[in-house]
Amino acid sequence: MVPATYADVDVKQGHPGGEIPMRQPQFIRSNTFHWALMVAGVFAVFVIVLFGFIYWQIDDYLTARSDRVITLEVEGIAGLSPERRLEAMDERLKQDPRGVQLAAIFAADGHRITGNIESLPADLRIDGPAQAANIVKTNGSGRQHQVVRTIARRMRNGDVLVLGRNVDEAREISHVVGEALALGLLPAFLLCLLAGAWLSVRAQKRVEEVNQRVQRIIAGDLRERLPHRNIDEPFSKLAGIVNGMLDEMETLIHALAGVGNDIAHDLRTPLTRARITLERGRTNATTLEQLQAVADKAIAGIDQSLTIITALLRLAEIENSRRSASFADVPLHDMLREVCDIYEPIAENKNITLQVGVTSRVTVRGDRDLLIEAVANLVDNAIKFTPEGGRVDIELLRGGGGETIVQVTDTGSGINEQEREAVLRRFYRSDKIRNTPGVGLGLNLVAAIVKLHGFRLAIHPGPGCRVEIICPDREAAIQPARPATRQAVS
Amino acid sequence: MAKVLLIEDDSETAEEITAELADRGFEVEWSANGIEGLDKARSSRPDAMIVDRLLPGMDGLTVIEALRKEQVRTPVLVLSALGAVDDRVRGLRMGGDDYLTKPFAVVELVARIEALLRRPVESRETLLRVGPLELDLIERTAKRGDRVIELLPREFRLLEYMMQRSDQLLTRAMLLEEVWNYKFVPATNLVDVHMGRLRHKVDGPGEAPMIHNVRGAGFILRSVS
Repeated sequence: MVPATYADVDVKQGHPGGEIPMRQPQFIRSNTFHWALMVAGVFAVFVIVLFGFIYWQIDDYLTARSDRVITLEVEGIAGLSPERRLEAMDERLKQDPRGVQLAAIFAADGHRITGNIESLPADLRIDGPAQAANIVKTNGSGRQHQVVRTIARRMRNGDVLVLGRNVDEAREISHVVGEALALGLLPAFLLCLLAGAWLSVRAQKRVEEVNQRVQRIIAGDLRERLPHRNIDEPFSKLAGIVNGMLDEMETLIHALAGVGNDIAHDLRTPLTRARITLERGRTNATTLEQLQAVADKAIAGIDQSLTIITALLRLAEIENSRRSASFADVPLHDMLREVCDIYEPIAENKNITLQVGVTSRVTVRGDRDLLIEAVANLVDNAIKFTPEGGRVDIELLRGGGGETIVQVTDTGSGINEQEREAVLRRFYRSDKIRNTPGVGLGLNLVAAIVKLHGFRLAIHPGPGCRVEIICPDREAAIQPARPATRQAVS
Repeated sequence: MAKVLLIEDDSETAEEITAELADRGFEVEWSANGIEGLDKARSSRPDAMIVDRLLPGMDGLTVIEALRKEQVRTPVLVLSALGAVDDRVRGLRMGGDDYLTKPFAVVELVARIEALLRRPVESRETLLRVGPLELDLIERTAKRGDRVIELLPREFRLLEYMMQRSDQLLTRAMLLEEVWNYKFVPATNLVDVHMGRLRHKVDGPGEAPMIHNVRGAGFILRSVS
């Protein structure tokens, strides 16, 4: 099914074959937006993982540091005399404005002698390394449960010294870092979404613009082109490529239309003449002879139309045929002599010197009949367009790039730069030769035959005209010429 | 009276061809499809056949191939709207039959049918004679009466072909195909130029012309003027 309108295309794009219950905004369903959403999601996950890592690192670091500090302190205080010990304990607790320090001395039976820890924590290993322990902190205002890093040492008199340090600051720092990251994450996430939406809307707009222009082209406006900015951007590049293709197609379509016109014109001329002849003959002819003369003239006109049609059909036939399996070895040197032989009397009648020059014996894979037709057409043209007293040369040459060249040169008016492309167009006839009889399909036929064989056709400017059929070597088998002949026929 | 079988599905074309051939003294039998045509070819044994290539029932070339398998050697002229760049058609031509692309002139068709019916018999004769004209195929010499005619090789070939088919209308296309092995009609009137030269040599001043131009059709070499 071909969607008739743009709206149709939209719906089908997002949900192929499915029904959509609700029309979401265009950009949300776009591929670009989905990509943006995905990027934002990945970004968020990344930030969260980063946060976790930072938290873990900081926590680890702070714990290790406080462990080091309380281990040093516990050794220091344990080494003091009992009086100095109590003093140091008081000192320590006093110089703690943030209230993170914990310290206590318990007697051997477990009751507290001094300090702000209510009781000896059950899970605390005495004389072990610093560890996390669940303690109850007491002071004047009350008691509170805390999990802190603690260390315990049994002293010489049997008392147990417990020091602790609350590492909540790790959590605080983490909190700050987390907030900072979250503050960064949110705008970044929003930015991603916005950029996605913007890109998506922009792309959508361009697609719509392109679609509108394409619809215009489909509707028949062949001069319409896709929007194209002169910047190095994929969309513009693509538009440039498509525009190039459209240029080519426009030219082709015009050429085709031109061919149609040319055919109609070339057919109408002889048919009109035939009609006038018949009409006048019917009114004016009084004898059978006169009527026969009229009929002959009319038949000639109709024959000319038929010749054009036949030539066109033949051209189409050759253009549409493939390299035939029946291709055989065609000796070019013999073939050229044959063509020369046929055209020699015609050239002589026009007082034109026709010569064939063959320096080597070359065989190509091909269809002999078609190749003769191609060369004959070239020679025919050359003789036709060369004024009396001129000369036409048919030559078989070896090109520099490992190729064989069949070259037909004349001393006629030549083909100028502008006309070189045009002569390969159907029915093209130079203004200079308007009055020369012919169908105007000869070179097309040659071009088609040459193409069928995988050869090339080259038209060179004057003096006179030089047309070459270039046969690459894989198509040709060269033998040295037995006698290097240059046969003059005329 | 030669009997011709026409297998052609377009009734208007068939009527035209039948009328023209009847005027020329042929007995024409018409069949509009391939299968019926093949039956008629087997039962009525015509002297020549005209077969359209695209036929209902069975295509023209298949009809001919079927007949050839049964060793029926009746000469065939194939008509077709298709061109001749085709291997099957080439095979046909090599088998001695003929091929004509539509649209064609009725004169061309009649000339080709007559040529098929009067195909020269393979002869060991090395001396051709038509009226006062003599052609020695071994010595490669030509004479009209006592007058020796100097001929170029291509002129010799043309005259030989015409003498083998004297008193027969030879169209330009036939001459191009048979004498020059050209499978296409060139823009320039090649045949007329070559024929003009040959005529100039054959029909000397004061002699009765032997080569005749038939307007809009072709040439005839007449044995008696």
